[in-house]
Amino acid sequence: MHLKYESQLREPLVNGRKTYHDVTEDIVRPIEAKPSKLWYIGFYIAVALLLFGVYSVYRDVTYGIGQWNLNKTVGWGWDITNFVWWVGIGHAGTLISAILLLFRQGWRTGVNRAAEAMTIFAVMCAGQFPIWHMGRVWMGFFVLPYPNTRGPLWVNFNSPLLWDVFAISTYFTVSLLFWYSGLLPDLATVRDRAKTKLRKYLYGVASFGWNGSTKHWQRHESLSLVLAGLSAPLVLSVHTIVSFDFATSVIPGWHTTIFPPYFVAGAIFSGFAMVQTLLVIVRKVFAMEDYITIGHIEAMNKVIVLTGSIVGCAYLTELFMAFYSQNKYEGYAFFYSRANFFSPYGWAYWGMMTCNVLSPQIFWFRKMRRNLFVTFFMSVIVNIGMWFERFVIIVTSIYRDYLPSSWTVYYSPSIWEIGFYLGTFGLFFTCFFLFAKYFPVIAIAEIKHVLKTSGESFKETVDNIEKQSAAEFAHEYAH
Amino acid sequence: MSDKKYWQSFGELNNSEAYQQTAKDEFNEMLPFEDNSKGLLDAKTPRRDFLKYLGFSTAAATLAASCETPVTKSIPFANKPEDIVPGIANYYATTYVQDGDVVSILAKVRDGRPIKIEGNDLSALTKGGTTARAQASILDLYNTARLRFPTINGKEVTFEAFDKAVGDAVGTGAVVILTSSIVSPSTKETINQFIAKHPGSKHVVYDGVSYSGILQANATTYGKQVIPSYRFDKAKVIVSLGADFLGTWISPAEFAKQYAEGKKINEKKPEMSKHIHFESVASMTGSNADERILHKPSQLGSIAAALLSALNGGSVNFSDAEIKKGIEKTAKTLLAHKGEALVVCGSNDTDIQIVVNAINEAVGANGKTIDWSSLYTNYQGIDADFTKLVDELNAGSISNLFIYGANPAHTWVASDKFKSGLAKVKTAVSFSSVNDETTQLCKYVIPSHHYLESWGDAEIKTANFSFMQPTINPLFKTRQWQDSLLKWSGATTDYAAFLKNYWSTKLGGESNWTKALQDGVINTPATETLGTASFNSSAIANASNSAANTKGKGKYELSLYQKVSVGATTGASNPWLQELPDPVTRATWDNYIIVSPKLAKDLLKIDLTNNGQADAYEVNPPKKVVKLTAGGKSISLPALIIPGTEENTVGIALGYGRTEKLGKATVDAGKDAFVFTSLKNNTVSWFTDDVQLELTSDTYKVALTQTHNIYDTKQGKRTEVMKELTLDEFKAHPNDIIEDREKELAPYGGLEKFEKEGTIYPYYDKPGIKWGMSIDLNTCTGCSACVIACHAENNVPVVGKPEVLRFHDMHWLRIDRYYSGDMNNPNVVFQPMMCQHCDNAPCENVCPVAATNHSSEGLNQMTYNRCIGTRYCANNCPYKVRRFNWADYTGADSFPDNQREVLNDVVMNMNDDLTRMVLNPDVTVRSRGVIEKCSFCVQRLQEGKLKAKKESRPLKSGENNEWDVKTACQQACPTNAIVFGNVNDAHSAISITRQDNKLRTFYSLEQLHILPNVNYLAKVRHIDEEHEEAKKEEKEHA
Repeated sequence: MHLKYESQLREPLVNGRKTYHDVTEDIVRPIEAKPSKLWYIGFYIAVALLLFGVYSVYRDVTYGIGQWNLNKTVGWGWDITNFVWWVGIGHAGTLISAILLLFRQGWRTGVNRAAEAMTIFAVMCAGQFPIWHMGRVWMGFFVLPYPNTRGPLWVNFNSPLLWDVFAISTYFTVSLLFWYSGLLPDLATVRDRAKTKLRKYLYGVASFGWNGSTKHWQRHESLSLVLAGLSAPLVLSVHTIVSFDFATSVIPGWHTTIFPPYFVAGAIFSGFAMVQTLLVIVRKVFAMEDYITIGHIEAMNKVIVLTGSIVGCAYLTELFMAFYSQNKYEGYAFFYSRANFFSPYGWAYWGMMTCNVLSPQIFWFRKMRRNLFVTFFMSVIVNIGMWFERFVIIVTSIYRDYLPSSWTVYYSPSIWEIGFYLGTFGLFFTCFFLFAKYFPVIAIAEIKHVLKTSGESFKETVDNIEKQSAAEFAHEYAH
Repeated sequence: MSDKKYWQSFGELNNSEAYQQTAKDEFNEMLPFEDNSKGLLDAKTPRRDFLKYLGFSTAAATLAASCETPVTKSIPFANKPEDIVPGIANYYATTYVQDGDVVSILAKVRDGRPIKIEGNDLSALTKGGTTARAQASILDLYNTARLRFPTINGKEVTFEAFDKAVGDAVGTGAVVILTSSIVSPSTKETINQFIAKHPGSKHVVYDGVSYSGILQANATTYGKQVIPSYRFDKAKVIVSLGADFLGTWISPAEFAKQYAEGKKINEKKPEMSKHIHFESVASMTGSNADERILHKPSQLGSIAAALLSALNGGSVNFSDAEIKKGIEKTAKTLLAHKGEALVVCGSNDTDIQIVVNAINEAVGANGKTIDWSSLYTNYQGIDADFTKLVDELNAGSISNLFIYGANPAHTWVASDKFKSGLAKVKTAVSFSSVNDETTQLCKYVIPSHHYLESWGDAEIKTANFSFMQPTINPLFKTRQWQDSLLKWSGATTDYAAFLKNYWSTKLGGESNWTKALQDGVINTPATETLGTASFNSSAIANASNSAANTKGKGKYELSLYQKVSVGATTGASNPWLQELPDPVTRATWDNYIIVSPKLAKDLLKIDLTNNGQADAYEVNPPKKVVKLTAGGKSISLPALIIPGTEENTVGIALGYGRTEKLGKATVDAGKDAFVFTSLKNNTVSWFTDDVQLELTSDTYKVALTQTHNIYDTKQGKRTEVMKELTLDEFKAHPNDIIEDREKELAPYGGLEKFEKEGTIYPYYDKPGIKWGMSIDLNTCTGCSACVIACHAENNVPVVGKPEVLRFHDMHWLRIDRYYSGDMNNPNVVFQPMMCQHCDNAPCENVCPVAATNHSSEGLNQMTYNRCIGTRYCANNCPYKVRRFNWADYTGADSFPDNQREVLNDVVMNMNDDLTRMVLNPDVTVRSRGVIEKCSFCVQRLQEGKLKAKKESRPLKSGENNEWDVKTACQQACPTNAIVFGNVNDAHSAISITRQDNKLRTFYSLEQLHILPNVNYLAKVRHIDEEHEEAKKEEKEHA
């Protein structure tokens, strides 16, 4: 007999004495009940934002990128800032699902479903920016390397933007498959409980005929492992490649070898913060405090303080290198355009420093890590800080680059640039609201699996072991 | 075996008749049309025909009714004109004449449309050089606001009716013909004929920008009311007392060419002319000076007098120590170069010009650097004559006034008085081709042709003729004004015949005339011995006294100036000129008040030495508005801080605030500053000595194209961008620049090995043609002719003020201007900046779709069709020369009606069918959403290569001054600062230039290993080191 022992001191991953049936009931309830008023309000706000975003994009496509306040020197502004920001956010889900799965971190089960969904939506949002920031989006298919009639014209494999195309589309595909394959048993559960024909039909189709046979489970487990194995390196590669957009350029402030690890750490940092923002709300609204426990929250806060500190180290390293290299162009970018509070964009740099490096240090204190209000507040602050980071990197580097003659007027966004950004929030939350309504926000099957080795009921099963003497224990488990 | 017969039926076997018929008809079934021999109407249409007809007619009706594809009419010639080959340009020699600007040019004509102005290489004066205004004049031809037909009281009439009406009104009565300076001898002849037929008539010359001071001074001291030739090429020392001779003074294209002679450096024997400039408000010429001395405008007279006295050995009495030292030093330098010095003065004050004449006598300029045998004709107007005319008009004694080329209602000191006088004229006829301020007040308007539609001639200087011929049929119902004059004097010939006759007689035969017309010019070779004139010194003492005693009244003074772009009189309606960044201020679309950094601190509360305030001033387009009051008139304009301006002097450009009837470009573009001109000693004065300045709480957005002006940063001087040194330094350490580069490249293998070892990528050979460009910063004056030439050649769009304000200007070629040294009176250097066609281009590798790539000839090419507009290339360009089409500037986009909300009327107007005639058919008009940039005029390179190929010889780019290819900027440059060609050809001009100027050659941002193909030659200044040391010593004492 195999024994998984959990110490009485260890915090349970699921609170309360839950039976399998309880788990199913708790998690499926929001799907089967009529949505609350709060849900409707939130959903309509999200759709309104989405529509504003659609109109903003319509203006951009019809009248040109001149609808935004970019200029001859600052060719990228809010568009690419938002792109990198959303991609960064889209890192937590896969990290939680894949890397933590490989590391056998049991606590991931409470949060992985929502985090993966968030990842997918965030990558969808991120994708909007590189697409609609193109001057001729209707020619965007030129970036795809497919056999064509244009003679020797082919994509440019030297371009980091092309690497982005592959990196992000691969990441999106793998994340989507991973998420969906995890959903299959749960969708089947919903299907089995369905009371209307339509519901049964739709969930039936969605669950691909899952019947819970051992063969299905065995294949499902193998697939999960394979996908986890595939996505683990992706977590590292996607933001590495996004960082190449900058690192491989010649622009002072972009041309930096530290970017790949620094971007990945930043991405995980912001991704976890976004997961926190969402889960603190979800667990409250859907009454799932038993499944997403304070322990989960604390674990993620630990990751936040770790990655935040890595990012802080990267900032300081950059400054040091700018000084140590004695490169006047880099020196100007870092010490004048950024670190100097009184330069035009000095406020953005110090905003970034405050939000990303100083404030997360509060999580060295256990009390703070376990405080929901602090967690929620900090999660928002971190994402503001990470937005600033991307803005600082992109705009303060190019608005004053090599030739002083090209230094530009102050860049601030137009209403349509802001509208596009708000629109992606609309897209994100519209998707998330629909997800929360129609899909189990917590992985039912996985929670049930966890119940076998954690939680109060499990602890009761191992209670008698505590009472046993060493000899008795040895005797019982010797065979 | 072989003759065995197989059969299918008995019919076949027997070969029956029935079988034969069947075999014949097998595939020949008659279509079941009814026999319509009975007539179509009687025919009974069978079902299948009915369906056919129905199908056809439905399809036809659908096509006709629904597919509203715009029809572009492209009609081949029924009879091909002999001279027009589609796709091949014709060049016609003609002459640009506009308010005193006279430049011999070639008009490039494609399929009957003039599309580009090139300088005429045969001209002895400009030698192929042009000015920005000459380049831009082609756009005026297609100005939609041109007058399109003759009118009387604003109503359209026919020429016959007009002739009759004017004939009835004038009869043989006396007429005053008011014109700007007439440079055409044949026109003068027609005027004389007209006057002869209309007894009592007279011809009054009025120039919007008056040179009366010089003319009268020369009349007094030399007995000739003329302007002599100034020979800057012969002068080793040039002293300018406020004359903007490289930008706007008398004949800038010619002077620039001469000036460049003295500024070109022979590395083996480094010598160059020295240019000392006295001025009040930073000008383009002052920015080029080796030394610049700042003074108040009212001090100019006393400076001239003091300089004269110093030259005559007297002492210099001057309260301002800096100016005093400047004068002493100038005098010393001048005396050391007697006979090879030239002093010019931009003042319009007769007394000051008399003193300047005396100075020129004292330094032996007469006959050495001033040529009295060759006289200018482009400025003849005397202000006193016009004052008299205005009085006569007001007295009502003139009943007939013909006006051509003059616009006193805008430019005259007392324009109101002129207007009231004009109202009293019975028959006021305007020949203006545009509806300017004066024309609007004339009852009779008979628009003359644009010069590109005209016949004509010009005697630019004595015995230097330039000819004009039509390059296009008149676009509108216009008539050349000489034709009208001839007609009204009863002549039977038209002006074209008159001109032909005039010159055939003069040149001895029609063939000579044809030849002259073809060349465009008749030159009298410049002789080495210049003409002299005898000097009468009697007026000197008085003039000197009165000049010395002019004193400014108030604390602040106002100096009015002309911009190189818009000028004082006609440029404001030209969108290219309006969008041309002023070389000094880098601003477009407006005039403004220029203030010094010191005044900015006092008045605007902006301290440029404070980084925070300087940044805030730079990055925010809204500039503080200052209200200026003088002589009871006031004007509120935004203030721009321009170093190199005297502390308490402000400057405002003339030529703005024009009537909106001149074209959309004049709408909301600046304010009229002519109101601040005044008459002093009977001549128009360009300064006011008692002005009040008041800071208002308003701001106004000024469309600047460059906001930061120095390349020195707190983190180090960006010497990789720009290199400049003094002549003495260059003589003492000729290898300075090379050592500099060596040091910059030391971490990457050093100068020698840099190209191959500074990279991890393999090295590629570059066989065949490899294009390269060299730009001499010593001779680039910043005149911006190249920028406009590039506009015209490459269909660069105009984006309008709101877009320039958002830093969306589209210039492929810009002229960066940097300051160094003392920020109150800095050294200035101009650096033309365009795509550097890097061999290791950072833009190329980042494009995801390979829309920009490298040609085997070293060109960085842009494929518009392929571009999807990610702008990554623009971000990664260290020179920031790539331009993105932020909106549908050209109307080339397939999205309909997408300009209306986002672009202003100027841009819309540039897309008018008429204006679009200026587009170069060889260059793609870029649509919205793609990047564009300098292509090294690839269309010209292809043409040149084809020409060489057709003649089966290698391409020539400057070998023995033979050119198959010249870029547009190179062609336009009046100083030949830009050299372009095949670097792999050892005999090409570019190879020779690089070979001869090794010591000064540098590449901007060379250390990045992007391997640019454009090199610069470092700026060398002829600054007296002694002077500098004295300055230092003084500072130490202080």
